[in-house]
Amino acid sequence: MYRSIILSVLLCSNVLAHEMTPTYPKWKVSYIEGVESTTMEMFNRRSDVEWYEIGIFDEEWKPVPFVTSYKILNLKYLSHVKFKVYINSSYVDEAEYICSTSKLRGDSMMVSSKICSRFK
Amino acid sequence: MKKLITVGLILGLTGCSLFSSKVQAENIDITGTVQSRCIINTDTVGAYGNPNAYTLNTTAADGGQKPIVRVDVSLANSYYAQVSYPTSFSSSPSLGDTVAWTGAVTAVQTSSSDMSGYQAASTVAGSMRQYALTVAGTTWFDISSAATYGGGQQKPFPGGSYKAVVLAECIAQ
Repeated sequence: MYRSIILSVLLCSNVLAHEMTPTYPKWKVSYIEGVESTTMEMFNRRSDVEWYEIGIFDEEWKPVPFVTSYKILNLKYLSHVKFKVYINSSYVDEAEYICSTSKLRGDSMMVSSKICSRFK
Repeated sequence: MKKLITVGLILGLTGCSLFSSKVQAENIDITGTVQSRCIINTDTVGAYGNPNAYTLNTTAADGGQKPIVRVDVSLANSYYAQVSYPTSFSSSPSLGDTVAWTGAVTAVQTSSSDMSGYQAASTVAGSMRQYALTVAGTTWFDISSAATYGGGQQKPFPGGSYKAVVLAECIAQ
């Protein structure tokens, strides 16, 4: 009962949310030899953010080279997007995290959100 | 008579086909997937109050507002929440002197009593506090931030607009 009340309050409140799935993506062989790919999905429920930056990092949070259509995605409020990320097979073992970070514009004190999925 | 029967059959068949096509049109699937995920929500956007010339503070007593970040996770033990208070302005007038920053991150509310130990179990690294989200559910974090200008000499902040950024992260375990 308590949880359902909380849920209904959350559904009714005006929230600014950032979401990315899956939590544990897997690399798959792509149609290009020596290149692997994975598909991620994002949902933007932040009315104050329209742009998200994609990054891939190793275990020590150093950037790993990758290719995607747009490294900075334009994602309108209440929009879903599926995007493919390609990586050279030689970097597959290095790649540990894939992250999306909100790019902020505005005048007040802002909250930057960052979600990182992990390659296991 | 035969013509009447034929017309009746045609009308009947047409009616059936219209009816069946209507039924087909109503069978539209809605699909969904329930999977592990983390959602970062900004429940309250923060603001600095300016209680005196040399301080900016988010506490309500000083006229500010603490930002509140909500993190929802749908699977236990799959994410860390990392929340950092600001240590610099992302935009401000030109500042010739040093700014001293203080702040704190606190898990102020949880959707389940099983999460009540989050704050005690959290770890700190500089301005960032990390929480292991060991239970599926919702956690609310409030962030306090204060900036003092003048390197201890209480110099007044230059007039203008000041902006700082709180970083809320969800990192898969």
